[in-house]
Amino acid sequence: MNIHINGKAYSLPHEVSMTVSAALNLYFIEPQHSTFAVALNGDFVSKTEYDNTHVNNGDSLDVLQPIQGG
Amino acid sequence: MSLTIYGQSLTSRLLIGSALYPSPQVMKEAILASGSQVVTLSLKRQNPNEQSGQQIWQYLQEVVTQVDGYLLPNTAGCKTAKEAVTLAKMSREIFKTDWIKLETVGDDYNLQPDPIELLQAAEQLINDGFKVLPYCTDDLVLCQRLYDLGCEVIMPWASPIGTGKGLMNPYNLETIRFRLPQATLILDAGIGKPSDACLAMEMGYDGILLNSAIALADNPVLMAKAFSQALQAGEQGYVAGIMAQRQTAHPSTPTLDKPFWHQHN
Repeated sequence: MNIHINGKAYSLPHEVSMTVSAALNLYFIEPQHSTFAVALNGDFVSKTEYDNTHVNNGDSLDVLQPIQGG
Repeated sequence: MSLTIYGQSLTSRLLIGSALYPSPQVMKEAILASGSQVVTLSLKRQNPNEQSGQQIWQYLQEVVTQVDGYLLPNTAGCKTAKEAVTLAKMSREIFKTDWIKLETVGDDYNLQPDPIELLQAAEQLINDGFKVLPYCTDDLVLCQRLYDLGCEVIMPWASPIGTGKGLMNPYNLETIRFRLPQATLILDAGIGKPSDACLAMEMGYDGILLNSAIALADNPVLMAKAFSQALQAGEQGYVAGIMAQRQTAHPSTPTLDKPFWHQHN
């Protein structure tokens, strides 16, 4: 399936659907050691829902980290 | 005299941004010099494998801990209520705070806040338990609506963000202060000089939020001190009670019995 993570296209031919946790594991080396939050198709996904929320073909996953701001 | 934001008492009336400084070290020194206990920050798309984001986050945490302060995440860059609400929820999870500086951009040219999306987002966030600090235009009715929704803090702009143009419309700002005496009013965006901040405090504003005016100064640390003093001067001037303006001249020195004083008609 094809998904976007942070606007970049990823092709994952062996999967028809995967959990947010699985998608993050593909994308990150050690997500458990990082500070980030996730939105799927523009909706917030809490950390407690990573294993229960599915990413499907065509979905967009956004992974955000802290930066300076005014 | 302290500032209270959603029940939290703060020793400084200055809220400071963390962006645009020449270096993280200068940012830290400027924040410390400002005396501020509220530091704004944001979120952006980034792969956590890139450690730069993690380093900035750790650095900001250290600074805020050092000043015994609070983080104030913003929703910069959001145009719709939906985007702002999503970003606010992401911020709450990361920063462990229900404070949110709510921003909804309505125009790309002057980055003017969108009042319609702002109200919608504020209502949704308040219903979800957030303590909303909305960044808005200097529109009295909009400020009133935000206050009525439950925003204890209202943050009208002085002028478009990053312009440094100061108080574009003092009449509007004075009217908002007069009509919303119970609201905590923080002037946000467009401040350029310490005297701009002083002027707002003399109007009775409760605080100032700024970033560029300090970060883009030739000497940000010194400018941070200047703003701190300007806020104190303005606040004390307001509390002391500013004399009423008079249409005609009045001599400061008593003229009674002055030998060379001649009253001309």
